[in-house]
Amino acid sequence: MTEYKILFTGPMGAGKTTAIGAVSETPPVITDVANTDPGHGKPRTTVGLDFGQLTLATGDRVRLFGTPGQVRFDFLWQILVRNALGLIVLCDNSRPDPLADLRVYLEGFAAELKELPCVIGVGRLPGHPAPGLEDYADELARHDLVLPVLDVDVRRRADVTLLIDTLLAQIEASLYGE
Amino acid sequence: MESERVEKSVLSPAVKVLAEREAARLLEEVSGLTAVVVATVDGFDIASAMREGDASRVAAMASSISAISGVVSQEAHLGRGKSVTIDTEAGFAIVHAVYRPDIDLVINLIADGNAILGQVAYQATQFAKTLAAA
Repeated sequence: MTEYKILFTGPMGAGKTTAIGAVSETPPVITDVANTDPGHGKPRTTVGLDFGQLTLATGDRVRLFGTPGQVRFDFLWQILVRNALGLIVLCDNSRPDPLADLRVYLEGFAAELKELPCVIGVGRLPGHPAPGLEDYADELARHDLVLPVLDVDVRRRADVTLLIDTLLAQIEASLYGE
Repeated sequence: MESERVEKSVLSPAVKVLAEREAARLLEEVSGLTAVVVATVDGFDIASAMREGDASRVAAMASSISAISGVVSQEAHLGRGKSVTIDTEAGFAIVHAVYRPDIDLVINLIADGNAILGQVAYQATQFAKTLAAA
């Protein structure tokens, strides 16, 4: 049995807490508090970490961690990414500049992304078609990265599972060689 | 996903002024204290008095510590979290929760080796009571 630790990150409101809650078999550990930032309409926001657990069909266990989205919590990003085998960056296409959001996390995790398998999940794409998935791929290419970019609705368990499965395929490829 | 209901309270300026004044007084009067930062639970500093450091970083860290300690106390059925002490080689930090009807706050006191833990802990509790009642 293998134990995987994977980390969800991405801007505030992209659905990291929701994604972990959608697939976790145990009640997720949530550290959300009242949001006082007038620039964000969300009532609550994660300031510590999210945590959930998932057992795969193979019996392997996945431990899911989520970071706070805001850059002022970047000290936690570095703590939470330790020993992670993969990273899922969730983006919210309804935000003013989703590609700029993506850059924040590509830069925040730049050192890790040289080695760490990663998948990008783009939410709220149906109502906000621009930028498209190819624009995300172009942005990644500007950072010398080639990563899967998926259209997801993190409220749906199947979509979150798809993100995790895609990441695990990447992790296995990097662990055992392609 | 939960409804995007916006119902934000705004901390009254009087509370901010009180927090600023008390933070400055504590830094001045309590031996060994090097920083006093009052923050919202989501990590924004609203008042601070510091000999060194960056209040906004301290505020974000205090809110994380407070939230994580909150889930620990919840998990163990110990009620709401009150305070966390981080004891270090060269001093200590105390993070104390402030429960107010409008906006919950977090106080962070950082002290060097000249400070007395019991004294600073007492001051943190008193400060929290003052801010809760203000």
